[in-house]
Order: sequence, then C-alpha cells, then structure tokens
Amino acid sequence: MLEKSIVEEVLGLALSSGGDFSEIFAEDRRTNNITLQSGRVEKSLSGRDFGVGIRVFKGFTSTYTYTTDSSRDGLLKAARNAAQAMSGSPSAQTQPFVTETISPLHAIEWNPMQVAKSGKVGVMKQAYEIAKNYHAAIQQVMVYYFDEEQNVFIANSEGKWIEDQRVRSRLIIHSTATDGHKVESGFYGPGAHKGFEFMKHLDLQHYAGEASRIAVTMLGAAPCPSGKFPVVIDNEFGGVIFHEACGHGLEATSVAKHNSVFSDRIGEKVAPDLVTYIDDGTLPNEWGSITIDDEGEKTRRNVLIEQGILKGYLIDRFNGRRMGMAPTGSSRRQSYRFAPTSRMTNTFIAPGESTPEEILGSTEYGIYAKYMGGGQVNTTTGDYNFAVMEGYLIENGKIGAPIKGATLIGNGPKTLQLVDMVGNNLAHGAGMCGSLSGSIPVNVGQPMLRVSEMTVGGTKGDE
Amino acid sequence: MNVESFSQELLEAGKRFGYADMELYHERVKTFGCQLFQGEIDNYKSSEVSGVAFRGVFEGKMGYAFTEKIAEDSIPFLLENARENALIIEDEESEDIYSGSERYREQTYYSNELQQVSIQDQVRLLLDIERLILAYDERVTGTNYCMLQSSETERSILNSKGLDLKDLQNSLTLYISVIVKSGGHTKTGTYVKVTKNFHSLHPEDIAEQAAEEALRQLGSRSIRSRAYPVLLRNDMAAALIQTFSPIFSAENTQRGHSRLLDKVGASIGVSALNIVDDPSLPEGICSRNFDGEGFATQRLQIVENGTLLSLLHNRKTAKKDNTESTGHAHKSSYKGSVTVAPSNLYVEPAAKGHEELVSSIEEGVIVTHLAGLHSGANTISGDFSLAARGYYVEKGQIQFPVNQMTIAGNFYDVLRSIQDVGSDLEFSYPTAASGYIGSPSLLIEALSVTVE
Repeated sequence: MLEKSIVEEVLGLALSSGGDFSEIFAEDRRTNNITLQSGRVEKSLSGRDFGVGIRVFKGFTSTYTYTTDSSRDGLLKAARNAAQAMSGSPSAQTQPFVTETISPLHAIEWNPMQVAKSGKVGVMKQAYEIAKNYHAAIQQVMVYYFDEEQNVFIANSEGKWIEDQRVRSRLIIHSTATDGHKVESGFYGPGAHKGFEFMKHLDLQHYAGEASRIAVTMLGAAPCPSGKFPVVIDNEFGGVIFHEACGHGLEATSVAKHNSVFSDRIGEKVAPDLVTYIDDGTLPNEWGSITIDDEGEKTRRNVLIEQGILKGYLIDRFNGRRMGMAPTGSSRRQSYRFAPTSRMTNTFIAPGESTPEEILGSTEYGIYAKYMGGGQVNTTTGDYNFAVMEGYLIENGKIGAPIKGATLIGNGPKTLQLVDMVGNNLAHGAGMCGSLSGSIPVNVGQPMLRVSEMTVGGTKGDE
Repeated sequence: MNVESFSQELLEAGKRFGYADMELYHERVKTFGCQLFQGEIDNYKSSEVSGVAFRGVFEGKMGYAFTEKIAEDSIPFLLENARENALIIEDEESEDIYSGSERYREQTYYSNELQQVSIQDQVRLLLDIERLILAYDERVTGTNYCMLQSSETERSILNSKGLDLKDLQNSLTLYISVIVKSGGHTKTGTYVKVTKNFHSLHPEDIAEQAAEEALRQLGSRSIRSRAYPVLLRNDMAAALIQTFSPIFSAENTQRGHSRLLDKVGASIGVSALNIVDDPSLPEGICSRNFDGEGFATQRLQIVENGTLLSLLHNRKTAKKDNTESTGHAHKSSYKGSVTVAPSNLYVEPAAKGHEELVSSIEEGVIVTHLAGLHSGANTISGDFSLAARGYYVEKGQIQFPVNQMTIAGNFYDVLRSIQDVGSDLEFSYPTAASGYIGSPSLLIEALSVTVE
C-alpha cells in the first residue's frame, strides 16, 4: 500500500525526538450500505476510506497522528507532528523490515466487491417478503445490507511489515408491528467475516421471521415488573451481559491504570466454578474474527476466566508496557482514525452441562430474557445496565407471558458471582462495540445461563 | 492532486459519463487532543483528514459515493459506484440537486479566539484541572479520564446548478471523569463540556463540579421501588430529549418510526412545553447557515404551548408531505447520505431555578446521571427504562444519594406529564446524528423507579 523507502523515512522521522517505538497503519477500505424501506431500495451508498495513522511511544506517553494525505509530504508532516509532541534527542533506530506473510484464518469465497448491487438487493427483498408476510400486524420492515473489504498494512520500527485483508458482510432486519395503538419493534442482525457466500447461505426464513415474531410478540407484552429476581438469559446475543459486566473490565485500557474492578486480581476466584470466559479472534469467519490485530499481532484464544479463576486480560502493546505483560492479539480500532487499544473479538462463556429445560424447569419465578438489546458498563465501578428486547415471566418452571420494557442493572463482579447454572447450548451473536478506539464488530456468546438475582427495572412497578 | 482540480475533473468526467446534475460535498477536519494521567501527558493526538462525497442524477435517479482518496483513480470509482447505486433506487420520491436558496444568513460560527489558544495553554488547563481535582478531597483517588480535543471543520458544497457554499466551524471538548473511594465503595463523576469559548473554562469550577459529582454519590442508600415524581436535572433532561429527538424527524414519521405522524397541529405536551430549533445560536455547536443539501437554515418553533407546530424536514421528506423543507437536511460527514437531524434544539426555559424546583418536591427523586440511553430507550414506541443515579428528596430537601436505579416510562407520556419547567437551560454532548440538544431541569409527575 505504501513504498518501503517512504515508510522507513516516516518511521525514522517519528523517532527523531526521543520516541522509542514508532508504527504506521495504512488502511484502504471499500464499503457498501443499502437500505430497503417498504420493499423498495431507498438508499444505496458506496465509498472508499483511505488514510494513514502514525503512532509513537516514549515510555508511558503515546502520540497518534492520522491523515488522509498519503503522499510523501503528507506522511512526513504527520510523522513530524507525532514526534513534536515528545521532547528529546533520538534514542532508538528503526530495524530492517522483515515481511511476515500470514495464512488467512478466515477464507473468503466470494468477494462482495465483485457482486452486482442488484444481487445484494435480491437478498434484501427476500428478507423483506418473509418479514412483511409474517403477520398482518407487521406495519413496516426496514432491511439494511452492509459489506466491506478492509485492506490494512502495518509496519513498525522493530521491523514489522505485515498486510491483511478483512471482508465482512451483515444483514439487519428491523420489523415494526402495530395493533392500531401501540407500536413495537423487533430486530435481528446476523453478520460474519465472510463475503457474499454469507448472504447466499443465510437462513433468511429464520432471521427475518424472528425479527417480525419479536415485534408481534411484544405487541401483546405486559409491562415488566420491577424488583429482584432470578434471571435466565438465553444463548447467543444474551452474552452481551458478560461483554458488559466483565469483558470491558478485562481490557488493558482500564486494567493498566488500576482503574478496573478487575485490576491486580489474576489468580483470584472472581466467579463460580461453572464460569469459563474466553475471547477468541481465531474462530473461523465469525463476525468478530481477525487473523492479525491492528498492531499486526496474530490473534489467539485468550482464556480470561477459567472455572471461576481470573487468568488473563486483553492486552495491547502500549498498555502492556504499564502492566509489564505481553500483547494478546487484542489491539483493535475502528479505522486509521483511532489509535488501537485492547478490545474484544469473539467473547463467550464456555458451555456447561445443564439443558435449557433443566434451567427453566428449576426456576420457580423469574424473568426469561430471550433476546437482549445493548448495554453499557462503567469499568471503574463495575455498574452495568442493559435492555431486554424480548422477555417473559417464568412461573413454576415454565415460560409465561411476554413482558416489555425490562432493563437489567447491577454490578459486574457481583453478578458474576451469582451465576448458578450454565447451559450446554453455546451460540454466538453479532454486534457492534463502541469504546475508546471506536466502533468495531464483535461477537458475544454464551449458552443459556441463570443468574440467581438481578435488579430488573420495569414500568409496572414493585411486585 | 488538490481538491479543486479533483472536483473540476470529476464534474467534467461525470458529464461525459452521462450524469445530468452532480454535486460535491467536501469536508476537511483538523483535530488536536490530549489526555493526562497522574500529571503526565499520556496521550497526544492530532489529525487532518478530508474526503469528498459525490452525488449525481443518472437516468433520473440520485446515486451516491464517497472517497477519502483524492486521486485520479478515485474518479472512475465514484462515477461507476454512484451510477450503480442510482440504478437500484426505487424510492417513489426522486431526489434532485438543489440550485440554492434566495438568501443565506452570513453569520460566522468560527471562533478566532479559540483558534489562537496554544497547545501549551490547552495542556496547562488540563494539568490545572487534574491537580485541583486530586487536591480537592482525600477521598479522590484519581481520574479515569482527563482529556480534551479541539477541532476545526471546513465544509463546502459545489454543484452543477451553480451552488457554491462554504462553512467553517471550531469547538473544544473537555471530558473529565473522577474516581472517589470511601468505605469500600467506588464512585465516578464526570464533567463534559463542548464550547467555542476557551476562556469560559475555569479550572477551579470544573474541578469542583467533577469531584462533587462523584463525592455526592458516596453513602448511597436504597429506597422503596415505586413510582416517584422525578426531577430530571437540566443535562439529563437534555440527554433524554436528545435520545428521543428522532421522533421529530419527518423521515421517521414517514417510516412509521415516530408516533408524531399526523400530529402537526395537535397537542402533544403540557402547555408549559415549548421546543425550538435554532441554527443561528452564536454558541451553538450545531449552528449553520445552510444544511446538508445547501438549503438556508432558519429558526423553527417545533412545539408551542404543547402544540406540535412542525416536524423537521429535508427537501425529500418535505416533498412527500407536500410542504417546504425546514432546512434540516443532515449529512453526518461525506460518508453519509442525506438524512434529517436537528441543529441546536432545546426546550425553552421558564421561571424557576433548579433549587426552587427541588424545594417544591414533597417526596421524589432527582436524576443526575443516566446510562444505557442507546439501548434502554425505544424511539419508536417511546418506552424507556434507563440506568440512573441521583438523590432522594423529602419535604423539599435532598436527603441522600440513591443506589444505582432504573427510571422507566414513556417519552410521549413524559411530554404530557411535565409539572414544571426550570430556568436553567443546559446543553448535552452533541452527536452528529442527534444534534446539539438543550433543556432546563424538568419536573416529571411520576416515573417508575427501581432501586438496587
């Protein structure tokens, strides 16, 4: 993507005022976004992102400059700006480049850039028809299509020279249902680190049908009761709870500065034996998968919690310095506009032994969260919140009436201790995760599991 | 290749390619940012990026494409992709390129004073704030974030119908988060400010506000979960309105994503409720003389004495509703297509100060922090259930901070159950898609409160 001599010059200039490490990240990304409303293509947008980010470290100080001007002059100017933030005389030198060739972990069969947009629209229309015809109460269906080809190049002053290509595809179905008074909505957004083959093999009947089924079900839902209850969280996107309650707190971004509730706790028992929590960027073709991270480090399977014991963190190069720990292939960024930092890829609770029937059957009264919405956490206090998109009451071990408007709040480390059953049906769901280094694709996953007590905030009031 | 010659070449190539009308939207953004940790600069950031959005009418339909690579090989990329995008469009209402409004306000929203603030002065401000925070109280253990970012955005629209508009903006964002610990409990307090006026930032005030925000939560207790009158402090009232501001967009009523469909002229709130969108506020972060389509912007009364007077429109949604654009075409950047969004939208302040509102509460809850706004609020149904922090009030007096809680209700009902509107207008952190949204403190008759 960039000439070797220029890269060498840029990395050297970046070190000219005392920096001890410099890095360049170049990105050329093509994207397509199409929106279908009422069965018609309403918007279609294509684009090309192209930019370069330069990073310099000096001890525990880091500078980052980025630019869309990839000419020699533009890059040298950015490198000079990065160096200027430091003060000192040159202390480190750039090492000769060693080109690393990687074998991609996530094979792409059909690059979406080679597919006519009319073909993409065809898939969207099929999804629309399924969702729209699901039920007479369906009022509106929006279908969003997204694909991208992201080419990245990373080199650093230690001699790294590496390139990678990431191809991703996603389809989002958003149905709204009405009974004439109320309006409710349902959503499903499957995605993968795959090309157009993903769309071709996608079970549209299932995903589009589910989006509409959720919307129609919620029309008949009663306001959720408030209070403290056992909560059974279903598999797949249900994993968002641990993404919030514990995943973010294990990122070096907050751990390194001792600001996380999980800082300095390696080896401690932070959860019951039932809980094993893993982040794995190597899972073939998953939405959150990558072959190398955005510092050029190979991704791997990082066991964070093993049978309740805290084993490790997600670590990037810069925060690793403060922690005295090696990077874990977890450094990610939305684009060249962000300095990379430790983030999740595909994070999930490993399967346990209970069947879903056993978990529900042994719950006298509680809340069953079938599909979760998004959530948020304060990693310093551990306080989190997230929304239940489709929920039900559990009465006498059976799924009862649907409820709406439930938000679950709590404290990550405390909730983790209250997991008392883990199911055997692990599945993963696609989402976007926003943090310091921008919005990135991640999977969250888990089998069905139960938390013995959570605070449920609903509109119905106290039970 | 510079943008001017790129634009010329693109428009000429586009004509040969078969486009009728064409438009180029160009944006250049420069930023500087830095973050402190324990008296040291832990992060510097600076950037200069630019990009071009192309749109053009091909066989009667509008196609879009953008690029950040201002180079020869991007011209066929834009023309071919925009054509393919145009050809698959099936929207009943066709878009066109706008030849321009008769008159544009000639206000400037660029602060020369801010532009002249040196990087050293910006760093010094952060150092002062951090030092004052750490010395403020022994229970303060550190900061999570102590950072600022200044940015400058230049945008221009150039089209084949003769429109040629330019605009320059700047602002500075300060984000502080303080950690306090006491008796095994940890709390954080944040301070966020976006401003064009650097000299309005006083380190003592900021340090006190941020530290107090955290300290006042220590010693939190539980209260019975039930419905309470809720006083939404100005910044949180603004945050809630910001979350639900999409309901005022005609794009959403037309999609069935807002319950304000066919409600223009009807009462949607209490008579004390007045909402205005004013793109000409001198201190407004989303102030602008023209919108994303080049349409001249103007002040718009959205709600007057509880009655909905107008929705927000761009030219396309206006055409569908047989009305005029209100100048709210929005382009989040050159990467976005044209949507609808507010500029500076706010609830007009009334008479009572925040303290006076507190003293009028027999028993209730003050909300000083909301979380989960992106997930716990359904902008279509209006239902929300949000994580909150705040205080318990009895007989007009704040009694104690409350443990993490949720407040739940329906936004459409909230508009009809505002008991009192304060005088203390404050704006929340602006986002491109939802505008710069302000509100005074709002006293709501009742919301369902669940406490941990």
